[in-house]
Amino acid sequence: MTTIGLIANPVSARDIRRIIANASNLQIADRVNIVMRVLTAAHSLGVERVLVMPDNGGIRALLQRHLSRGHSQHQRWPLVEYLDMEPTSTVDDTFLAARLMRGAGVAAIVVLGGDGTHRAVVRECRDIPIAGLSTGTNNAFPEMRESTITGMAVALYASGRLSAAQALAPNKLLEISINGGAQSDIALVDAVISTDRYIGARALWKPEALSAAYLTFADPQAIGLSAIGGLLQPVGRRDPGGLAVQLGHGAHSAHPATLRLLAPIAPGMVRPVAIAHWQAMPADQPFTVAQQGGVVALDGERELAFDPGDRVQITLRENAFPTVDVARCMQIAACDGLLRLPSTP
Amino acid sequence: MAGNPFPLEKPALLEAYRRMRTIREFEERLHVDFSRGDIPGFVHLYAGEEAAGVGIIGQLGDGDRIASTHRGHGHCIAKGVDPLAMMKEIYGKKGGSCGGKGGSMHIADLSKGMMGANGILGAGAPLACGAGLAAKYRKKGEVAISFVGDGASNQGTFLESLNLAAVWNLPVIFVVENNGYAESTSRDYGVAVDSYVDRAAGFGLPGVTVDGTDFFAVHEAAGEILQRARSGGGPALLECKMVRFHGHFEGDAQTYRASGEIDDIRANQDCLKKFAAAVTGAGVITAGELAAIDREVLDLIERAVAEAKAAPLPTAADLTTDVYVSY
Repeated sequence: MTTIGLIANPVSARDIRRIIANASNLQIADRVNIVMRVLTAAHSLGVERVLVMPDNGGIRALLQRHLSRGHSQHQRWPLVEYLDMEPTSTVDDTFLAARLMRGAGVAAIVVLGGDGTHRAVVRECRDIPIAGLSTGTNNAFPEMRESTITGMAVALYASGRLSAAQALAPNKLLEISINGGAQSDIALVDAVISTDRYIGARALWKPEALSAAYLTFADPQAIGLSAIGGLLQPVGRRDPGGLAVQLGHGAHSAHPATLRLLAPIAPGMVRPVAIAHWQAMPADQPFTVAQQGGVVALDGERELAFDPGDRVQITLRENAFPTVDVARCMQIAACDGLLRLPSTP
Repeated sequence: MAGNPFPLEKPALLEAYRRMRTIREFEERLHVDFSRGDIPGFVHLYAGEEAAGVGIIGQLGDGDRIASTHRGHGHCIAKGVDPLAMMKEIYGKKGGSCGGKGGSMHIADLSKGMMGANGILGAGAPLACGAGLAAKYRKKGEVAISFVGDGASNQGTFLESLNLAAVWNLPVIFVVENNGYAESTSRDYGVAVDSYVDRAAGFGLPGVTVDGTDFFAVHEAAGEILQRARSGGGPALLECKMVRFHGHFEGDAQTYRASGEIDDIRANQDCLKKFAAAVTGAGVITAGELAAIDREVLDLIERAVAEAKAAPLPTAADLTTDVYVSY
């Protein structure tokens, strides 16, 4: 039975950036509509079963209301099963769901969330292809894409119409290690060093608190902290290597600013950021953080606090995990006529 | 360890801890005294939820007003209401915050901007709009806060207040204290929208969700929301996801809770433990300094109970004072 997984985070796009930056709020009802479109599109192309992460944030409850109404002439969906787990309403739910889905042998996982949700899935499950849909605040990793198309692309791969070589693309990530691995984590887009030393409301939005940024890719059209690199020296998602940016401070500091850059560090928030210098970040070469004491923000959220004297190292890895390349899948489907049907039903 | 990594100086951190600890010990003592039958009426305890109350209210002045809920002791203490007078009030004695005539669910102190606990769920939100309108006219940068539980956020009064605050652009902050249960009804069962931020968005208001057991998360988010409101940015909603250590009311058998739930939240989601671990781990405050506060707070609560028990009851003549009509 062709099976895929679906992880939808009900709490992405709920943080302080709604106040400070007029960031969008994607309502639960909209998220469930997105899920429904994935289900119906995937079912149309042969997905028979979808394993869904349960949650207590409203997605399961509302999805269940939709599904309980039964199939209509316009909508049919595959068998939907919830993972056997008790939601905690923390990121642990995503970790566990990813592990359970791998154990269940899903062909791919559709992820609805921001950069952080995708990071959580990849942290637990680097070998299952993921297809991301952006429902977060300022996402660089998941694409803004109509979920119907994502559902179709995933189904083309999951049902075997497209091979892994055709459907999947490799991705880079950053490995963060504190004191030789006493604490470790990953980032999919950016690991940013902040002079803050507490987690607080998690988001980063004060340029003066930024110390350094390490980026897997840097898109000049991105918003968020990776935009700093994107506007200095773009690096593609599939290009080799990444970018390391040292933020600047006063003339008498260890890293005096050599220029100031206007960058959209959050939705609607274009701020001058002082830059000291930047350099390419080759794969597998650890970069040691100069800042003494602070917080490592992973994909835009303060996560790991470290003290002066702690040794923080960041290493870029290539070919770290696969994603479903939706654009490529649909291009091949068109060129190879995969969606053509006989002239009579 | 080098420097203070927190957004508050050490004296302010100590004061925040003192207020949270005072709330905790006040409530834990009421839990004991109520079970002995010492306390008239009903009490609803705030233990477990201290980081939200202090993280928000700790940033207010006496000119800022709050409209509390049936679970109002924590809001009172955070707002600076005298715990000695509060205990007398809850014991129904003279010298209480309201002369011993209000009790737990009508406790108030207007001199501190505490407009009152409220036995009517959702009734505080319109009051906060009134205070917000007054603040808007006074132009001193004052704000009003409406606290509401996850259950009361279903009330029409709350939703109407969101609308009123939005159309009048009032400096009102709606704080949804989401402890997961509307009395005994799980939020999953009783709230259609599921996200309180979505509820605010329906009225065009920004909404933020924070971990209400993390003092620093609440403090930072509330700080930005307050600054926005004080500078004319208008109303907003803050959802604090939190836990309550006791039942909805004292005597609640809590059969709706999962087995082991209370032990788990006391062990892993205790905001005071989290705060203490953060500040001692950073080397800003020592365990000894916190222990000294703990002792002082226990002494204060002991004194409050002793004074409350010794205080006289209101007299029949007190019935006709503190009312709008002269007798």
